[in-house]
Amino acid sequence: MLKGVLYIFLFLVLGEVLVFLCNVPFAGNIVGMVVIFIALKLKLIKLNDVKPASDQFIKYMVLFFVPYGVGLMTFYDILKIHWLAIVVSTVVSTILTLYITGIILQKFGKDE
Amino acid sequence: MNEIYLQPLFGIFITLAAFQLSQIIGGKWKFVLFNPVLLSVVFIMCFLVLFKIDFEAYNVGGQYLGFLLGPTVVALGVLFYEKYDKIRENIIPFVSAVVIGGIMSVISVCTIAITLGASEPIIRSIAPKSVTTPIALEITKIIGGVPYISAGIVIAVGIFGNAFGPVILRALGIKNKNAIGAALGTAAHGIGTARALEEGKLPGAYAGLAMCINGLLTAIITPHIVNLVI
Repeated sequence: MLKGVLYIFLFLVLGEVLVFLCNVPFAGNIVGMVVIFIALKLKLIKLNDVKPASDQFIKYMVLFFVPYGVGLMTFYDILKIHWLAIVVSTVVSTILTLYITGIILQKFGKDE
Repeated sequence: MNEIYLQPLFGIFITLAAFQLSQIIGGKWKFVLFNPVLLSVVFIMCFLVLFKIDFEAYNVGGQYLGFLLGPTVVALGVLFYEKYDKIRENIIPFVSAVVIGGIMSVISVCTIAITLGASEPIIRSIAPKSVTTPIALEITKIIGGVPYISAGIVIAVGIFGNAFGPVILRALGIKNKNAIGAALGTAAHGIGTARALEEGKLPGAYAGLAMCINGLLTAIITPHIVNLVI
């Protein structure tokens, strides 16, 4: 478990360092995600070493978003003025995005 | 003793307590608004407003839980590795779905906001609404939006997708779990991915990969689309 946590943090650091060195507008954690996938694929690290830790992180993913959600309370003033355009455009666009992505994969993808 | 809420313990404890309570409520009554993230956020906000505690005081502890999101996104890479063979069978329809959905996300949010008379800084701030916060912030800086507004919109979109995404998709006739996963990751980034994981590990892997592809895509196309429509 501890070994897995160490690996995950190692790849997070690696992702952040890569973003910093390449000076690209991207998220270090997503780069870390791609790099750990490549490392597993190339057998540089073993699945059994990271899986116990990664499963635990993934299990509680929703919880880690809660503080960011609470942060929305500081947006009250902006939303008060522009609420109609913001709410309508983001809600309609989000539903449209969900539907288009979902329908294409459902229609053309293979069933499991 | 009066300043107990200025310690990290306060934010962490109240978040865990609100989350636990929300899970109990959500488990007991199957109702779309009883969603763990939505309920937890509302509970904590009410508590802070009621006791006149600033968000900054809450976030002294809250940020520690938020920080754990970084390693969790890395952990999704391990999940892809496990599900790689299954996703590969579907790779062309999957990537097409994410790319078309991602492009439509930016175009539709901009055109609707323009139609409703939104100001230019607002349009530039909400354009990258479907991608994960760190990527959205970088895009906003490049296209001249307000990062603070983007950060809020991105989280609100994520919570919306997490709470209502699967219900909306099923009502629109999308029953395939992998399609639901890909849609959640594309439209509602990490918070949508968290919901997809509740549908199953494979839909969760689809969602995480969709979030990754759409993040990359949106970073590339948003400046061009915004220049075209504004």
